[in-house]
Amino acid sequence: MTLELAVRLAEIILGFAIFQQSLEFMRGQQLEKTLGIVRAVLAVLLMLGLQPLLVESALLVTAVILIRRFQGPYNGGSDTMTLLVLLCLWLSHVAPTRYWQEIALGYLAVQLTLSYFQSGWVKVVNPDWRSGSALQKVFALSAYPVSENARLWAVRPQLMFFISWAVIGFELIFPLALFNQTLLIVALGIAALFHLANACLFGLNRFFWIWPAAFPVIVWFQGRLMNAF
Amino acid sequence: MFKYLLPIIFPSWRFFSSIGPSPRIEVGFVADKNSEPQEWLPFRALPQSINFPLGLQRLFHNPLWNERLYINTCAEHLFEGHSEFREREIGQRLVVAVLNREIVADDEFHYLVFRIRALESETGQVRDEVVFISKPFALVDIGGAQ
Repeated sequence: MTLELAVRLAEIILGFAIFQQSLEFMRGQQLEKTLGIVRAVLAVLLMLGLQPLLVESALLVTAVILIRRFQGPYNGGSDTMTLLVLLCLWLSHVAPTRYWQEIALGYLAVQLTLSYFQSGWVKVVNPDWRSGSALQKVFALSAYPVSENARLWAVRPQLMFFISWAVIGFELIFPLALFNQTLLIVALGIAALFHLANACLFGLNRFFWIWPAAFPVIVWFQGRLMNAF
Repeated sequence: MFKYLLPIIFPSWRFFSSIGPSPRIEVGFVADKNSEPQEWLPFRALPQSINFPLGLQRLFHNPLWNERLYINTCAEHLFEGHSEFREREIGQRLVVAVLNREIVADDEFHYLVFRIRALESETGQVRDEVVFISKPFALVDIGGAQ
């Protein structure tokens, strides 16, 4: 995949993710509603590919206003990834040379890889995660499960153990997928299913839309790495 | 501002690295500022189940749930110490929920109070304690009602 195609695809998916987030903000308080409308319009322009540098600059400004408004991210990791993808795409437009474009997009690919690997690492060093009891607590007590029926998963310790190790295993071996493009496509498919499961069980719908925005960039990055070595 | 931006530009992806106390928000109503609520109601209690069409809809649009997650984030900040901003953020959003008739309050009540319970599992036992009770919030429109 060429760098230009990766950027265009990432902008389309990012635009959709920001549009989805913006519609949700329109149900909020006055400043959130106003910013939601502005960002929804900008997101459509981004999807259409009209003046991407200007549109991304405006989206960055509104993102900073939102961070200031909420004294941090509104929606934790999904807001972090949204801003990171936006910033790296914006940097790829303002970069003075091809080299710096590649640095900006490479940074995004590395962060995407770390978002899985580091999550797996902090779990595998935690005995509660290795035994399945941490995930059991997430289902039983945390504020995330979307329904009482979802909470009942906590009473199945063998299932919790199996899911814990499936998640830890996938997250830890994700970087290995960078060695082969077919493997990477399969890994990204599994990652998308993982985010879908999180959306269905824990209501983390924004993660499901924003993480794939970085997928085209990592596909380009993998090809670039293979060419370099 | 940099303290908010730096963790985004150089993020740490430590999702669920440890499972801390989990907040539960409850709402009470009073007629005047100095009264105490007689009853505490859970805020946005979980449904028993979510069917496929509703789940699909929530994949695209779920503002109330994401607001609930934000309120929980504010509550977790209050575990660490008092913050006027976090208390106001929760209180105002609960007031809007009342004005939108999501939570029904009798006309005799003019103020809303919320409390936060912290649930934590320790050696197989669930510890459940009230860790925060807010100041009263007047049930008047602050610009977020639908």
